[in-house]
Parts: sequence; C-alpha cells; structure tokens
Amino acid sequence: MKYIAFILLAGFGMNQAGGESYVSKNARISLYSKAPLEDIEAVSGKGVSVLNTTTGAVAFTVPIKSFQFDKSLMQEHFNENYMESDKFPNASFKGKIQEKFDVSKEGTYPVRAIGILDVHGVKQSRTIPGTIIVNKNTVRLTSEFTVQCKDHKIEIPRLVFQKIAESIQVKVSTDYTNYQK
Amino acid sequence: MRKTLISMLLLVSTAALAQEADSTSTDSIMNALVDKDKAEPVIASFKSTRLILTSTTETIKKNNLNFMVVHRFGDVAGSGGGAETLWGLDNSSDIYIGFEYGLRDNLDITFGRSKYEQLLDLGLKYNVLKQTSDNSVPFAATLIASIGLKPYKVTTNVFDDYSNRLSYFYQAIISRKFSSRFSLEIAPSFLRNNLPFPYIAGNERNIFSLSAAGRLKVTKRMGIVVDYAHPFSKFRNDSEAPKFYDPSAAGIEIETGGHVFTLNFSNAQAISPINYLADTESKWTDGQYRIGFTITRVFDFNRGHKSTYK
Repeated sequence: MKYIAFILLAGFGMNQAGGESYVSKNARISLYSKAPLEDIEAVSGKGVSVLNTTTGAVAFTVPIKSFQFDKSLMQEHFNENYMESDKFPNASFKGKIQEKFDVSKEGTYPVRAIGILDVHGVKQSRTIPGTIIVNKNTVRLTSEFTVQCKDHKIEIPRLVFQKIAESIQVKVSTDYTNYQK
Repeated sequence: MRKTLISMLLLVSTAALAQEADSTSTDSIMNALVDKDKAEPVIASFKSTRLILTSTTETIKKNNLNFMVVHRFGDVAGSGGGAETLWGLDNSSDIYIGFEYGLRDNLDITFGRSKYEQLLDLGLKYNVLKQTSDNSVPFAATLIASIGLKPYKVTTNVFDDYSNRLSYFYQAIISRKFSSRFSLEIAPSFLRNNLPFPYIAGNERNIFSLSAAGRLKVTKRMGIVVDYAHPFSKFRNDSEAPKFYDPSAAGIEIETGGHVFTLNFSNAQAISPINYLADTESKWTDGQYRIGFTITRVFDFNRGHKSTYK
C-alpha cells in the first residue's frame, strides 16, 4: 500500500517539476530578404512550438516546405536550390528563456532565449530576443532575428538572376494554449 | 528497514527524474505535436516543362506564362555540316516559339508554332497525379492532348480535304524523382496524321510510340539530360528510301532562376513531337546531328504583391 502511494507521489512530483507546458501548432513564421530585383517574402502558419512556463524551456520547429511565396517559382527555388528541403525538411530552435515571466499576471515581458538554431542542417548557438505578452487568457511570444546565409551554408550562386540577400530576416509570432495531456 | 530503503531510493530517483524532465518533456510534447509521416507532394521532378524532345510531367502554375524559344541548327558534320556552314550554325532545321499558360496549378493550355511544316499546335496539359514523399503515390502522371495544323499552300490536291491538314497527338507521361538529383520519365504516345506524313505510299496514319527521358543534376542548377523516342511503325522499320531513325538527344540543362536553358545535340530535325515522331530521317553516324538549344522564361501574372512580412 505504502509503495503504491510512493509511486503515485513520485509520478505526481515529476509533473510538478516538469512545470506547465504551453503549445502552438500554428506559429506564424515569416521571412523577408531584400534583393536587387524584387524583395523575397514568405510566410508559414505551420510552425510548432512548445513553451514551458515554469522552466523557460522553449522549442520551435517549422517545415521548410510550408513556407508560402507569392511566386510559385520562387517557392520551388527556395526549396530546391537554397534550403534543400528534401535533405533538411525542418528548421528548428531549442533553447531556454533567461528571464522570469509570470503567465498568471497580465503584462509584457521582454525576454532572451539562449539555444541552438538549426537551419539547412547547420546548427548555430544563438541568443534570440523576444517578447512574451500575457493577456486575459492568452500567452503570446513574438520575436525577430536575422539568419546569415553563410552561417548556415546556404549558397548564393553568382550566375542567377534572382539573387537573394546575404541575410534573411525572420519574424515569429505564436499564440499558445495550455497543453492538456 | 527495507521499506525505508526502498522509499529512499524511490524519492532519490524521483528527484533525478524530475530534473531530466525539464528538457525531455518539451521534446516529448514536441514529438507528439509534429506530424511525422505527413505525405507531401514531391516538387520539381524537373526544372522545366520540357526536356529536349519530350515534355515533362511539370506544369506551369496558375496565371503563369512560360515562353519558350527552341532551336535546332543544321547538321554538324556530314555533307551539310563542317566548317562551311560553321558546323550547322548557319542553318536552322527547326525553330519553335511556344507559350504555356497555367489555367490551374495542374492544367495548362499550350500553343506554339514550328518552322518545320509551319506546324501550329494547340493543346492541353493536365497533371493528374503527383508523386508523394511517403511513396503512397510513387510517380507523377501528366496527360497531353494536342492538335496540329499545317496551314501552308500546296499546288497538289492533297489538302483539298481540309482535315488532311490536321494531326492529333496524345501522350501520357509518367515520371519519378528518385532523388533530389535524379529523375526519369517514360511517355507512351499516340500520333494520328490525317494525311500520312511524310506522304509516301504505304505510310501509316497512326503511330504509337514510347519515349524515355531523364535528368541527372550535377550541381544544384546544372544537369545532364537525355531523351529518346521509339515509334512502333512497320513502315518506318521497313522503309529503305528514305530510311527512318529513332529520334534521340543529349545535353545539359542550366537553371538561372526564372530561365531554364538547355544546350543539346540531337539527330531529330524537328522540335514538335507531331513532326519528329513521324519524320526523323537523320542518322547520328552520318554526321546528321545538330546543336540545339531551348530557352524558357516564366512570367508570373498573379495579382499584386501584398507584403506578408508582419
């Protein structure tokens, strides 16, 4: 009897330590790159994110093929020539938010996440700034940062007419819901 | 005593587990949320809507226009080639100007004009099946139906019946992207010339043929392409004068973002399948092969760009 109680307690304790998880299956991630011929823009609404509000652990992943461009040809080149999405289907970030924030109190918290950004199969240690906005019953995380093509071995050839810029700006906006197991 | 020990152990292990749970719980939730085996359509089996002789399974997307200029020069060697004609560059056995417009993402209307027989062609190209990443659909399939018209004047009475000017061409193209570098396709086709072409006694009106073509990427933007067609025609097999040969071609394909260039060698004089399936009388080993090129450019007519970067 005692053992059962202990085992139950043990399980319960684990949940407590794991903290509260917030999730999103439709994180909005948009790209912008200023290019000589025309600016390159794309958006995906299919990012998946997990935020642990107790520990500050945060994770993002987005399928490269889910980015929608205005021009289908641009989308094809992005997947085929630049991001090689056959080989590297997802981009991801996994890290830990450094600042304390309280999801039970309304407010705006500027935060920084330190972790690993994985784009085009190349991992980079990054500190990425963001903002957590807590409203009545929503938790929102927004962030804006830059990805340097050469840091992630994204080749920009000399012989193309539609050149992309050396750096790509990325915007992330996620509304989380509490995760029910 | 033993009970206390066990409970101590349990407590210790619980604490250790709880610390690890930090990152693993995030991971496991992530794994639960991400659709692991969602089948995606395979994109870009080929860079362009045609290889050298044969069309590919690719279609031009909705409201996009593909403009094509295809050229076949004269014989490189043999009696019509050599330095006198700058290895055939002085002559053009065929020039094709073509347009493909996307009515839908998977349905194009095509129109073009050949120098060869002054052939006008109008057709539809419909992508029926897309290959999927999980191989539940292992190949892509596209259907082509087109009608050809020879509008020129003749002094004989062969065109007294106007329908003798018409040809019909139907093709099913089946392609598979084996890897990001390597794609292959086969294409059975049926060609009907209302007036047998070339007009020789005994020639058939209906020709079935089978084409095979492939691409191997050498770099992300450059690849080697080969193309071959075999008409199943008793008349063409048996004919001694003229002799007929299977059209075949090999070349390189270069994509420069918006444009696709093909530089090739081929024994086929004609560019439209209506012409080269019926009438390829040139032989590689007699120097009757030619330099050819294809330039394609895609124009996008989708309505105004709205910024999505929010």
